[in-house]
Amino acid sequence: MDNQKLVYTPAPHLKSDLTVSQAMRDVIIALIPACLVAIYFFKFYAVFMIAVCMVTAAVTELIFRMAMGKKPSLGDYSALLTGLLVALCLSATTAWWMGAIATFIAVGIAKELMGGLGWNRFNPALFGRVALIILAPWIVALGADFLPWSINFGPIDVVTRATPLAMLQQGMEMPGLANLFFAFPGGAMSEVSPFALLIGAAYLFYRGHINWRIPVSILATVFVLALIAGKNPFYHLFTGGLFLGAFFMATDWVTSPITNKGKWIFGIAIGVLIIIFRVGLAPTEGVAFSILIMNAFVPMIDRATKRPSFSEPKPKRAVAVPGQEQATAKG
Amino acid sequence: MEVKTFQGGAHIPHYKSYTEDKAITRMAAPEEVVIPLSQHLGAPNQPLVKAGDKVEVGQKIGDTEEFIAAPVHASISGTVTAIEPRPAYTGGEIMSVIIKSDGGPQEFVPKEKRDPEQMTVEEIRQAIREAGIIGMGGAAFPTHANISTRKPVDSLILNGAECEPFLTCDHRQMLERAQELVEGAKILMRSIGAKKCYIGIEVNKPDAIEALTEKTKGLEGFEVVPLAVKYPQGFKSHLIKAVTGRDVPRGARSADLGCIVRNVGTTISCYEAVVYGKPSIERVVTVSGPTVPKCGNYVIKVGTSVGHILKECGVEDLKGHKVILGGPMTGMAQANLVTGIVKSTTGVLVLPPSMVREEVSYSDCVRCGKCVDHCPMMLYPNQLSIYAEAEMYGALMEWNVTDCIECGICSYVCPSQRPIVHLIRMVKPTVKKMQRSRK
Repeated sequence: MDNQKLVYTPAPHLKSDLTVSQAMRDVIIALIPACLVAIYFFKFYAVFMIAVCMVTAAVTELIFRMAMGKKPSLGDYSALLTGLLVALCLSATTAWWMGAIATFIAVGIAKELMGGLGWNRFNPALFGRVALIILAPWIVALGADFLPWSINFGPIDVVTRATPLAMLQQGMEMPGLANLFFAFPGGAMSEVSPFALLIGAAYLFYRGHINWRIPVSILATVFVLALIAGKNPFYHLFTGGLFLGAFFMATDWVTSPITNKGKWIFGIAIGVLIIIFRVGLAPTEGVAFSILIMNAFVPMIDRATKRPSFSEPKPKRAVAVPGQEQATAKG
Repeated sequence: MEVKTFQGGAHIPHYKSYTEDKAITRMAAPEEVVIPLSQHLGAPNQPLVKAGDKVEVGQKIGDTEEFIAAPVHASISGTVTAIEPRPAYTGGEIMSVIIKSDGGPQEFVPKEKRDPEQMTVEEIRQAIREAGIIGMGGAAFPTHANISTRKPVDSLILNGAECEPFLTCDHRQMLERAQELVEGAKILMRSIGAKKCYIGIEVNKPDAIEALTEKTKGLEGFEVVPLAVKYPQGFKSHLIKAVTGRDVPRGARSADLGCIVRNVGTTISCYEAVVYGKPSIERVVTVSGPTVPKCGNYVIKVGTSVGHILKECGVEDLKGHKVILGGPMTGMAQANLVTGIVKSTTGVLVLPPSMVREEVSYSDCVRCGKCVDHCPMMLYPNQLSIYAEAEMYGALMEWNVTDCIECGICSYVCPSQRPIVHLIRMVKPTVKKMQRSRK
């Protein structure tokens, strides 16, 4: 038994199975129901948009990391996930190059230029989506240049419908609630079926990847404030990107607060902002803007909710006699 | 059943089934033992023998005048062949006494049997000191120093949590030596003046809970406390918090809190030291691992090499394996098999290549918060690991890096494979030095 090569590494010598790539893969898996619903309604438009965004994401990450002299990290699935999320934030008939630009901004600028996964302050997918809105004038100008490359898979009857949220804002007659909850094509691909997203979210809870406090506080806040504002709260829950935002975007590890108390504050503040946006400002994209705004406050929330160490001496209690202290502890 | 515990911590697969049903047996003494002169926390010992001397089992071979220290004794009888630096299980080298066996029976034979009731507290403390008893759960603090307290101590807490995976030596001792354990507890209670004795045991050892509940029935002041199965339940501060509800502020010693924690194995050794005058020359060690042919709980002489132990247990091929002294969360991996067990070694574990944590390159923190959720010290291991990498000592101090008990949960849960506790371990000495110089 002499001179055998032993592995000599520091403690601990056991490791849980959880890895970043596994978690990211699980989120992609959790989005499959929503993707299937989108593909069912939007056919090739959905498939194509998802493919464009995911490929752009992978290529962008590769290029940026090579340019910065870092090792490629496609294996952690984070770029692919960002690409998928960007695609789901767009409507299926959005021009493909707009999806590509949004993804490029999401992965290249919002993530890699910020220092890579872990250092980005804003949710990359939402950053990419919102960049499209902010860059709208430029994009309109680009539209003419890209016209020859536009791709058409033929007409599908659902694509001309308005976003339910916009319908709500304009006081149009609304589809039934059950309809909205299970499947109502209109708007972004992820808006079609809150139900499909909920299935995915259940899987993420089961796998322990997301903390329930953030989605619950967002949904509850939106519900209550909508009620107070005299709106039908269910319409506000089931329309717009609320489910995607609450379960998949706001729960992003990197861009949400660390402590449970911080998560409550974060979620409630997002809920309040969403209602302000929806009731008082623009009809759409309230969820995206609300989450991005709160992303910026995460360091501040973390500082404000810093917990004391287990060893931090507590202020002396009035009764310090060991025997009595014990009685209260047990009582 | 009311189960007590603390905040934070994690459930880690406990792999105890390999040895939890194996009764304690005695392992044959080796031809040669290498006994480190100092095995405790505190002042170093000086040798009392020289090369060529004949020694008997239990003969004192190293001691010092200092108070916080514990003498060491010959674990076998034979001839001292050398006193020289030898590899220590913690890495580096340590002055050790090497004894070659004379081939005779290596049992310790008590000269007398004393009645602890007839002994004064001072005599009890002296007997424990002379026997070189130290914390055998891994703490290695001299027990006589721990129980020589002037402050009133109301409770003795026996630590039978054994929260580290694989280890079952305390479990078996609670089952097989319950009587000695209870007698040892009575001796310790007398020497510290405690009126209460709690025995904390994780509920994954129901037979031990039952056995000790039975043994302590009708004994005044004894209480068996079932504890949740959660790592690191057996760390002193968390055991105190779980059992008594008392806070354990930094710098406070157990005696300041009115309670003293003793490992169950240590307590049994105290009993043997006081009643039979038996020094700490052997201990129960769990030898375990999925590929070890003869796993078990063995009484092994202090100074027995890992190589000898594994050979006795039928281990042959060790290529790509990891050999650990202690538990898998806090124990030390061994670079070779010449190091020996000491008084505080709880286990000899062999992890096969399939269980060995790969040396993968780790990635940046993704702020998942798992380490924060599970940190039993309520620290922010995520931040600490980043500050440690950047050597930001000011920030490390501000985020209480020195409170870390190095339980290893953060590294265990980290999805980015960051060696968090290792990074913390590397910067702690510097931070402590800076804190001392500031005072």
